[in-house]
Amino acid sequence: MKIAVMSFAHTHALSYVRLLAGMPGIELRASDPDHGDRPAGESGGAALAAELGVDYADSYEELLAWQPDAVVICSENTKHRDDVLRAAAAGAHVLCEKPLATTSEDAEAMVQACEEAGVNLMVAFPVRFSPAFLALKEQYDAGLLGNIYGVSGTNNGKIPGERSWFTDPELAGGGALTDHVVHIADMLDALFGGATATRVYATANDFFGGDPRVETGGLVSITYENGVSAVIDCSWSRPASYPVWGGLTLHLVTDAGLVDVNPFAQRVDGFSQDARNALWLGYGTNSDELMLAEFLTAIREGRRPQPDGQLGCRTVRIVEAAYRSVDTGGIVETTRDSARA
Amino acid sequence: MGNYTVGLVGAGGIANSHLPAWLALGVDVVVFSIDGAAPALVERHGGGRVVDSYADLLAVSDAVDICTPTFTHRDLVIEAAEAGKNIVCEKPLALSEADTTAMIEACDRAGVQLYPAHVVRFFPEYVAMHDAITDGGIGTLAVQRFLRAGSAPAAPWFSQKELSGGLVMDQMIHDLDFARWNAGEVTSVYATESPSLREDGAPEPLTAQVILTHESGTVSYVTGVWSRKPIAFQTRFEVAGDGGLLQHDSLGNPPIAFNGSTDEVSGYQPTTRFSESPYLTEIREFHQAFLGGPAPRVDAADGLAAVAIAAAALRSIETSAPVSMATNR
Repeated sequence: MKIAVMSFAHTHALSYVRLLAGMPGIELRASDPDHGDRPAGESGGAALAAELGVDYADSYEELLAWQPDAVVICSENTKHRDDVLRAAAAGAHVLCEKPLATTSEDAEAMVQACEEAGVNLMVAFPVRFSPAFLALKEQYDAGLLGNIYGVSGTNNGKIPGERSWFTDPELAGGGALTDHVVHIADMLDALFGGATATRVYATANDFFGGDPRVETGGLVSITYENGVSAVIDCSWSRPASYPVWGGLTLHLVTDAGLVDVNPFAQRVDGFSQDARNALWLGYGTNSDELMLAEFLTAIREGRRPQPDGQLGCRTVRIVEAAYRSVDTGGIVETTRDSARA
Repeated sequence: MGNYTVGLVGAGGIANSHLPAWLALGVDVVVFSIDGAAPALVERHGGGRVVDSYADLLAVSDAVDICTPTFTHRDLVIEAAEAGKNIVCEKPLALSEADTTAMIEACDRAGVQLYPAHVVRFFPEYVAMHDAITDGGIGTLAVQRFLRAGSAPAAPWFSQKELSGGLVMDQMIHDLDFARWNAGEVTSVYATESPSLREDGAPEPLTAQVILTHESGTVSYVTGVWSRKPIAFQTRFEVAGDGGLLQHDSLGNPPIAFNGSTDEVSGYQPTTRFSESPYLTEIREFHQAFLGGPAPRVDAADGLAAVAIAAAALRSIETSAPVSMATNR
């Protein structure tokens, strides 16, 4: 199977390339034509491809002329729409980095384009593949937890420093709300079997620094049609010296008691004199690998992978509603009809 | 010692934390409770004398400590103020801003001191966190998260919102007060709550979520749980600023841990045995103020502000919309 990687703008591309390169039966090629637009010092282009040991194409035209079976899109958020449409037009199945888009209009256009082209559209939400989340879902589905009444989610990281575009509203579409609401929104969608959000409230600030044009701290409340309320802390609240990029947790109030889910809990703790900092050595399952396996297996089996573009749209609508709530100071009703559109 | 007498009113859950604190300070304590539980309370803690009426209590007390259910606070405090007594009152001061204001005005008229027992301000882990924030240890405070979870309290009045104010007013007010202590006045409150009864009328776990936006721009999130399933009492906080963050979990880093016990755990109140009881720290500070010492870290205006935030959260739950605090001032 021929897989093309479009852009190294999102550094998750590096993880995907390394994993795909190690999988049997995969031919890999990448292109990062916009790397020249990134500030000097940010890795990219043919040099990064060489470092990763992956074949390189100078342009997307050349990359897609290679006729890949599938593409993995890791461009800046606001470029996702054009890149997905281009890949779909070339007849390639698509795995798009999260968030799927920065507006629901873009997200819906991407879903439609892929449907018309008859190609899969999957969104890169790896954390739902983590054994910790799967254990939660298994217990919930088996009825062991009874009802869920409230969820508190945290997806806190450093202000993304490896790539400056993350805090450029033109390219990222926003800040912490854009970056860190969708993972947990995806997981709750998966947990509740597609239950849609009916009401969203959000508040945000920019006290953690970064580009003052984007929010760096935020809290989002989502009420689902099944009555569950969830609050997501999406803040880029980890200091630059934090031992890892950040983390993601869920806390659930259920009939069985309180449940804590931490997909990144599996780690060896230590301290480094050289780093003058804590050492966290994660040894858990690589969820990126499980996510890529689902993407590839679905193509081989001729079925639709999950999380799909529809789900991506639902998560984008929640973020869009959160921004509207921050702007107005009020709640945003996301009606059933529009949420299902 | 018998030269300072405190009248403890009520002999329920919180009186069991306040009575030993007064006794530890060497204060003479008289206890009155309308439910007949005072003799057992006095016997359990090996100190204090039972009196037969509130009038008898006021007649012999220098100060009173109101540890009764919330809906009785207003009348008891006003009566004590009119009798010229300094007052400690369990939180929340009252169920509404109007009642709380009436209590404060009565105390002002009588020239007596009134302090709400917001005891979390005296818990050492919370004090360490607050002091670090005040000292600039984490820079500009940006985002706060608080969790308070315990088994649902057994006394039936707690589950009646018109008597206790429910989970938000009775339990989460601790963290709402603390969030304001750290980050200042609140401008907007949004809250949700799980339904308190199943369709068949059986109780279910109760949880609420409150989001605060402060005048400073800081945002805060408070989760409260009254679990019907017995659970160990647990608190957590994380406060983050542009210069770092602080975290604590009351079930993390235990000073002593057992592996092998299978006992069911259930807790409505925190365990405080590994450092001085925060209730003693609190009562000592109030007692010193009554004796002419420095102003305590929490006063009646803080108690009123906490009631106002909790009341706004309850209105937000009712209306499914954020409530602006500016309109309440």
